[in-house]
Order: sequence, then C-alpha cells, then structure tokens
Amino acid sequence: MEKKKGSSRTPINISVADVERAFKKVKEFQKILEKGKTPQQIFEDLVRLIAVDE
Amino acid sequence: MNNFIKKIIESGSNIGIPTVIIGGLALPAYNVARSTLDIDICIYVDSQDQLNKFVTNLKKKNIYTKQKPKITHDLFVVFEKKNEAEIWLKPCDAFDWDKKMLNKTRSFQENLEVLAVEDFIITKLGRTDRSSIDISDILQILIANKDNIDWKYLQYRLDWIGLTDDFVEIINVFSLDIDSRYRNMAKSVVDKFKKSNEE
Repeated sequence: MEKKKGSSRTPINISVADVERAFKKVKEFQKILEKGKTPQQIFEDLVRLIAVDE
Repeated sequence: MNNFIKKIIESGSNIGIPTVIIGGLALPAYNVARSTLDIDICIYVDSQDQLNKFVTNLKKKNIYTKQKPKITHDLFVVFEKKNEAEIWLKPCDAFDWDKKMLNKTRSFQENLEVLAVEDFIITKLGRTDRSSIDISDILQILIANKDNIDWKYLQYRLDWIGLTDDFVEIINVFSLDIDSRYRNMAKSVVDKFKKSNEE
C-alpha cells in the first residue's frame, strides 16, 4: 500500500507557550504517578469515561 | 479491562490477528494523558478472509458494523448497544503496517498491546488531518519519553514517511527561550535528537 506524502498536512506552528504547556502537562502526569496511580489505571479511568460496561 | 474493548481484542486474538490500541486512548502507555471521546483499535490482517473472520467473531459477541469492511479500507466502525469503536486496518491513514512495526508492538497490560513509542509518534505526525492536538501530544510524548525513545529508529521512520522536516520543526521549538524550569529538559531532547543524527 502506498504511503501518502506530507504536502497536504497543516503546517507546524508551535509557540513557546505550547511547549511550556506540554512540560506542565507531563509534570502533572508524573505527579499522578507519584501519588500511586499507574498508567494502566489511568487508561482504565479514560475508558470508563467513554465506554459503558454492559 | 472494559468488556467492549476486551471482546474486540479477543475477536482478533482468537484467530491470531494482532490488535493494538491507538489514538488518544493509547496515550497513558506513553506517560501522557488527555480526555478523548474515541476508541481506536488497529488490527493487522493480511487477507480479506482473515478480516471476514474477525467481523464474524465480533458478530458472535454482539458487536456489529453497518459497513462491509474491505481489506483496502482504512477503517470501519463497530457498535454494541451504547458503545462504538473505530477499527483501523492500518496504524495511520498515511501508511500501512510493516513487519518491523508489527514486531515492535509492546504489551501495555495483559492482552493489550500498543505501538512502539517511535511508531506512535509517526501516527500522530503522519495523519492527513493532523491537528494542533496531535502536535501537543507529540511534544508531551517527546518530553515524557526522551530517555526511552530509540532516536535512530525514529529517524528511520521519519525518513520512511518523508516527514523529517516537520519533525525538525518540532525539535527546534525546544531551543526557544522557554521557562528556565524546563530549559535543561528541553536541551536534553534537542541533544538526544542531534546525537542520533551524528551517529
């Protein structure tokens, strides 16, 4: 199957604020891990928000 | 694990079809999280017959599709009473699976696989409808995984998909005059990318 080349994609425009926000979010995630939650538990939390267990 | 997701994964694994979680829901596997509304699951099938068997297995578990999935399609949507998921036949609309990508998938939790972090980055960067959310995800993935990324393999993939220039633009923002709290970590991301370029 052919790969599609990147010419039609939206150009990348990132500001300093975007990068700082990314660092902040990573830090927040690390804090959740430090409190004892695992990435697997965070995944399950996300699933619970969007899927119904019949 | 949620029953709906479990049933989809079992529908594949019962007949030897590799299955991975992709999209926003896979982010916690890379130490990143944000809210998402979609369940995106990617399967690797190499024939129409295999795809038909997968769809039949889903039906047996009361998961249906209104489409007639074909091996040449990018994705199809499946439903169960109140649940819905997109089943992708390729990791990204811009490229197909290859053996290397398949061999590099890793276990996130029991019976749940995800793409290698480098390949996941490429799915975000390569999307034809790439948005600012994808770029934000990439920034966070780079920060959170800078010490674990196989930068050489990432470079190989960037070259393979023809997106090295786009990625360099992302890397360059880590050299901007950002908050001093993050400056060392930002420098580390840039250094790791540059070092892999020199090797």
